[in-house]
Amino acid sequence: MKNLKPITSVVLATLLLGLIPFVSDSEKSYLVYFLFLTFCHIVLTQGWNLVAGYTGQVSLGTHAFFALGAYTTAMIWRADLFSWENYYFDPVTMILSGLVPVIFALAIGIPLLSKLHGDYFALGTLGFGEILKVVCIKGGQFTGGPIGIMLPSSVYTTMRPHYWTALFLAFLATGVVYFMTKSRVGLALVAISEDETAASSSGIYILKYKVLAFAISAFLSGLCGSLYAYYLFQVSPEGFLILRWTLYPVLMCVIGGSGTVVGPILGSLLMTAVFTVTSIYLPGIHPIFSGIIIILVMLFMPNGIIRLWKKGV
Amino acid sequence: MKSKRIFWWFGLLCSIPIICLVFSNFAMAAGKEILIGAPVHMTGPLAPDGLELKWAYEQAVADWNKKGGIFIKSANKKLPIRLVFADDESEPAKVAGAIEKLIKVDKVDLLLGTHSATMSVPAINTAEKYQMVYHCTTHWPEMFRDQKAKWASVMFFSAVGASEVPFIIWETLLKKEDRPKNVALLMEDSPDGQAFGGGFRSHAKTHGVTFAVDEPWAIGAKDYSSMILKMKAKNVDAILLYGAPTDAITLVRQIKEAKLNVKYMHGWKGTWAVEFAQALGKDANYVICDGFWSEEFPYPLCKELGKRYTDKFKKRSVSIGAFYGTAQVLFMAIERAKSYDKTAVRDALRNAEYKGTVMGDLKFDEIGLALFPSTANQWWDGKQMLFYPPVKGGYQLKLAPEWGKR
Repeated sequence: MKNLKPITSVVLATLLLGLIPFVSDSEKSYLVYFLFLTFCHIVLTQGWNLVAGYTGQVSLGTHAFFALGAYTTAMIWRADLFSWENYYFDPVTMILSGLVPVIFALAIGIPLLSKLHGDYFALGTLGFGEILKVVCIKGGQFTGGPIGIMLPSSVYTTMRPHYWTALFLAFLATGVVYFMTKSRVGLALVAISEDETAASSSGIYILKYKVLAFAISAFLSGLCGSLYAYYLFQVSPEGFLILRWTLYPVLMCVIGGSGTVVGPILGSLLMTAVFTVTSIYLPGIHPIFSGIIIILVMLFMPNGIIRLWKKGV
Repeated sequence: MKSKRIFWWFGLLCSIPIICLVFSNFAMAAGKEILIGAPVHMTGPLAPDGLELKWAYEQAVADWNKKGGIFIKSANKKLPIRLVFADDESEPAKVAGAIEKLIKVDKVDLLLGTHSATMSVPAINTAEKYQMVYHCTTHWPEMFRDQKAKWASVMFFSAVGASEVPFIIWETLLKKEDRPKNVALLMEDSPDGQAFGGGFRSHAKTHGVTFAVDEPWAIGAKDYSSMILKMKAKNVDAILLYGAPTDAITLVRQIKEAKLNVKYMHGWKGTWAVEFAQALGKDANYVICDGFWSEEFPYPLCKELGKRYTDKFKKRSVSIGAFYGTAQVLFMAIERAKSYDKTAVRDALRNAEYKGTVMGDLKFDEIGLALFPSTANQWWDGKQMLFYPPVKGGYQLKLAPEWGKR
């Protein structure tokens, strides 16, 4: 029964959040957009949390997988791959947009994770993002070049599907992290994070678990990229292959508390609120205030907000 | 216990911004003014351009408010215009958020555009979702046509047309013997550089020009000697370049050191900033820069607008007129519609002609697109002198002599 309590709370919270578009007009309320953005950040942050927070491998390639997901959606739609009438929020397209980054994660993850550790692995993933950016810019008609691929925004009718899909993905990402950490896989990941040599000598196949976490993270980032492509209706290197999509999840996870299930949710909620509110009420100087808040949080809560709560309890 | 207390205080602090966002929904538009929103690059790498855009919009609003505002039939009087801005942080993904804020928090009546094509595409897409008028400049007509927007309008020149300018200059303003024979194309290794490069290559073919050197130009590099040596070996006498101001400054300095004599150097993006001329002093003379507008234009208010800008910022601008003109045309459309209802204003920006703007007479077609020519200016003693399109009695293009004879 004790184990069911957090699950029930999360399910209830998700259901309640799902009702917001019925209470608040999604076309007039900024709150719906704010929560949509927060849910997207939760998905990316949970993905990064799985690789860095639990496995101890700092990845700086979230933006690459996010962009791969977006490009997959845009390319399938543009090419009319399945000869379907509508690709807008098409589940098959979205799942494929999650799977394509997984293929890339396996292709780069196996050599990188078997040879590189720590900072070197981080730089390797960063390099992957840069390579992908050049490929997309120079990809000609295939990638749309520097301008990217434009999607027909005329299909848009309401913000509700964006909101509910983002909520579902945030729920899914949190659920995946929760169940993984409660399983043998989670124990293996934590063991790898704490002492790789000890974990290996205990019979844990380190590369398998590291690659698994990396691939799941890529899948979540790809799904989120697909959703964001449906929101922006343009997939371009400057919109998707920018470091912000990597740095924000890192920042949100560290502030909320990496290596925990709830930390990334808190971090995403707080930092999205801070970025949004400062940019609305202090336009032009908001990076200063956002920066001050980040410094203060890191000074007084270096282990993340969630650990402060746990300490208090 | 102390930690728990801090945690609750923290929770309270978190909830304040969220409550702000919830209640922002209930802010009501007063209806006593015309509220115009504009996403602007206030931060990020494009902030200098964004601040020019902001200043120009503010000038246009101040000028119209000085006349009492715009007559609105339903109010039976002139209503003042109020501008609100949102920072798009020079990022395509953030411009969507800025427009969401302007529409949902500020409840603007109409939107003026941000700067640059990469920002305009997502900005127009977002405005389209809410069926909001979005009137802008600095967006490529080719891309705008592809977007099939129903609520947006654009006034700018075409990328294809802009990249043909040097070839037209050579054919119309230079004697046959003066025309460049060995041309180098140096395009920044970036999305815009690649896009521009394609335009130049395509026009070179139609004008019978073959590039002696065609190289991607590395951003932020400190040593261009290998590229300069290659240009020397190929006897390059003209350079077309697209790059950032700092890179353009470094390149010109190294070209001088290497004594590479180029009679025609035409730059885009990097050579129009006043910092380019300040850093190079007399060496900036003869270098050509692009522009959207010139205070030398023979249109109403151009000279005064240029003077206001120079008085305020102690430099000249080749872009503010396009931004001012964008706001001016939107206000003229509201005046023509006698309403700030979005459908009426959108319709007034289709199949319509607006005369006497700072950009001259502008004709909008059925999709809301109006074209004006791109300009070419030559730096002369710290000033960008307009020579293309030619203005009666205006400045004449000078070809650069050898470095030792300047």
